[in-house]
Amino acid sequence: MSKGVLLFCFDTEHTRYHRILERCVKLVRKNISDEITVITDFLTYQRMNPMGNINYRFIEPELGNKKNGQEWRNVDRHMAYELSPYDTTLVMDIDYFCFSDNLRQLLDTEHDFLVPDTAHDLTGRNTFDQRRWSMIPMVWATLLLFKKNNRVSKIFDTVKYIKQHYSYFAEMYRIYARNLRNDYLFAIALQQINGFVGYEKLPFALPTLPPDCEVVKMTDTGLAWKHNDQISCVENQDVHVLNKEVADV
Amino acid sequence: MDIHELKKQSDLSYDTAVAKRNALEKARSRQVMAYKGQLFRADAETICLVRTLKESLDTFCVLDTNHNPVEITDPTEFLEKLIGRNQESLNAYKQIYQTFTRKG
Repeated sequence: MSKGVLLFCFDTEHTRYHRILERCVKLVRKNISDEITVITDFLTYQRMNPMGNINYRFIEPELGNKKNGQEWRNVDRHMAYELSPYDTTLVMDIDYFCFSDNLRQLLDTEHDFLVPDTAHDLTGRNTFDQRRWSMIPMVWATLLLFKKNNRVSKIFDTVKYIKQHYSYFAEMYRIYARNLRNDYLFAIALQQINGFVGYEKLPFALPTLPPDCEVVKMTDTGLAWKHNDQISCVENQDVHVLNKEVADV
Repeated sequence: MDIHELKKQSDLSYDTAVAKRNALEKARSRQVMAYKGQLFRADAETICLVRTLKESLDTFCVLDTNHNPVEITDPTEFLEKLIGRNQESLNAYKQIYQTFTRKG
């Protein structure tokens, strides 16, 4: 049974995501697994520094999605099932920095699909109270653990269907965000395919830094950020960084 | 009364509260433990349950974090792992906590 980590990375005009990837890969290799596959395009690949033994798969990213008015190439997550070479896959956003080995043990579980449904705001403001932004409890597709089997294949088929008709589902669930978000794609798909009665989740909240926090320092064990002229830090704790300027730290 | 001193104290209290909350969340995440293919929380409740069941049963069933039943065939090993993970996470929390008390 093969196990590994799948990462998606596409540079845009405004953000050099490959620089975030380089940091992410280093931490994944140290704390989770040596088996890493990166889904990217050739242009991004050419800009990357050598990162050791990594599988690359090239696709042309789907364009058109935006975040804060800037291009956001993030709508290919539904292809993770086909693109992953592993029997058990941990899909991670590249801005999720695993400063701990907490996720490693997930690859050894029998669960065939797990996703977190809560986020922990590291600034203490509870800014991720998602109920205010839609009629469906959101999941955080930042992290997905899946095994290849018939049931999971149907989950991804449902994700594709929701994506195809996203504007309809976004209206139906009164989703505030106007762009396409993987979090809602998976939340809707999981609710639908599981008969509207709930599904299994990762039993922890994703430690997350809101976009208005500026990362000022990052080491191999943690990071420090600035918010309202206050500097705070975490050590040996995973962090999902929403401010993409982390690429320049 | 120096209003700037009071504001400084207020800021410090807020920072300490947020840092404590983050450290506690870190400990809670660390307490999630994989055992026999399922996920458990190595918290006081699970430890007490397993210890209580172990006193009268050689094998027993418990629920994982997603309410799936899991048969525990080696309660001693399971309890040792739970206690180990619980104390690892709380000792790390204690270390961070001590930095708050030093700051006042």
